Amino acid sequence: MPTVEFSGKSFSVDEDGFIDDYKNWSEEWVQYVKAQEGIDELNDEHKKVIEVLREYYEKNGIAPMVRVLSKVTGFKLKHIYELFPSGPGKGACKMAGLPKPTGCV
Amino acid sequence: MPEGILCNKTPVDTVEQLQALLADKSGKQYYEEMKLLDVDTPALWATIQKSLKSRLRTWLEICARCGMCADSCFFYLANDRDPTQVPSYKIQSTLGDMVRRKGKVDNAFMHYAMDTAWSRCTCCNRCGMYCPFGIDMGVMFSYLRGLLFSQGFVPWELKIGSGMHRIYRAQMDVTTDDWVETCGWMCEEYEEDWPGLEFPVDKPNADIIYTVNAREVKHYPEDLAEAAILFHLAGENWTVPSEGWEETSLAMFAGDWVGCKKQVESVYAAMERLKPKRMVVTECGHAYRATVIEGPYWAGLKTGQTPVESFHYVEWVAEALRTGKLKIDPAKRIKEPVTYQDSCNYIRNAGLRECAREIMSYIAEDFREMRPCGEHNFCCGGGGGLNGIGRYREQRNVGLKVKRDQILATGAKLVVSPCHNCWDAIRDLEEIYHIGIRWSFLKPLLLKMVIVPEHLRPEE
Repeated sequence: MPTVEFSGKSFSVDEDGFIDDYKNWSEEWVQYVKAQEGIDELNDEHKKVIEVLREYYEKNGIAPMVRVLSKVTGFKLKHIYELFPSGPGKGACKMAGLPKPTGCV
Repeated sequence: MPEGILCNKTPVDTVEQLQALLADKSGKQYYEEMKLLDVDTPALWATIQKSLKSRLRTWLEICARCGMCADSCFFYLANDRDPTQVPSYKIQSTLGDMVRRKGKVDNAFMHYAMDTAWSRCTCCNRCGMYCPFGIDMGVMFSYLRGLLFSQGFVPWELKIGSGMHRIYRAQMDVTTDDWVETCGWMCEEYEEDWPGLEFPVDKPNADIIYTVNAREVKHYPEDLAEAAILFHLAGENWTVPSEGWEETSLAMFAGDWVGCKKQVESVYAAMERLKPKRMVVTECGHAYRATVIEGPYWAGLKTGQTPVESFHYVEWVAEALRTGKLKIDPAKRIKEPVTYQDSCNYIRNAGLRECAREIMSYIAEDFREMRPCGEHNFCCGGGGGLNGIGRYREQRNVGLKVKRDQILATGAKLVVSPCHNCWDAIRDLEEIYHIGIRWSFLKPLLLKMVIVPEHLRPEE
């Protein structure tokens, strides 16, 4: 299993670069993915999306639909894309420490 | 006969089974259990005797091992002409041996067969065009996948995918309510820019019933909105079904024959219920193959045809441009060099090559063909379910070199890719090889260049 080093922390990642274990998620991981995703600065709205994704995942064991994400955060779809340019299914899930969604993604 | 808790011969039919599999990140426990999974050889042989029909039996017997198929396979080319990547070798050393041994194979053999069936063949069917006998290894590997699935030797993600179809009639956990709500939501989000935009659900006798890929609903709903806007601009009388809206089939990639049948029957039931004039499917290659080409046989339809005439999205776009339902602003055509990724599943398997060229003639000023192209094009490198299988990411990255080099040779930096699978593979290709390209479905490109009739423009 490959590992990535960032800010003095080591993370095991899967073959698609998603964190190996949801429980190993930390603030340093968020900063690492931020650089990868080309996001300049993280604001409260990014944090809100991450929080909602993690809460949903903890309860359901799977990533939510974008519709659910939009409803709970109150953000419009276009705005979610402004926050996470590679999309909610990829960039946002990766940053939140969720596994890569299965299926055609 | 050790059966694992997660890896076993029982398909996923309940939410509990599905959740247990999902909780096993990357299938770690699943693949450990697979190492101990016994092969039920009498059952395997019984399945072969019942399902291996004359065409496949003949193909296995008449293959002359001439090697004419070798250069047709992108895996063979990408792996420095490794002889074990020759299609005839791959199928003879798996399905061929399994049949010759009358199903008496062991766990190690099944592991080899699984790795070959899912990481060394994308069922792109290109080899069948070059074999002097017309032997199609893609067809045979699809069949082998079915045998492997029946014995529990299937990649973790595809066991999940087939289970999703069995439970939700969609490749992701999207319920009827989720789907209908998302349609309404997209209408709300876009109607300000597109006054009068509608997302008609369950409208009987429409001209078009539109079917999609569940990922659009779950992760990329803007794709649904774009489809609705283009139908709106073209003045189409269209609808989506509340049930039977999902056209893809990870069950097909998994070799889950029962799941395949259940899935397409849900789409056909929507056609029977709503009686549209015709069906149009989104920009997805394997969805079209599953529902339009293979599906009628899975469902036992004697005509070999879908209940209503079915079209791929590129056919609808070509027609809309040809008839003037959609008009392109000449000043907004694509000026930069642009190439087109021919999807195996609707170009090679359904002969839609000319539709794609017709569309490009309307939207691009400097269209550059990949070589080879059309029905001879190489697979994107991620077809047949390979895109979604973590276990084989390394083999996939190697295979992607062929597409990378094809794209580079065109000099184009933009790749039009009206197939979700191809779109993903090209995205991942860029992620790995950094060749500086962009990729796009047709819908967002068309929206940037289509002339909006005056009565459909938003008020200033």
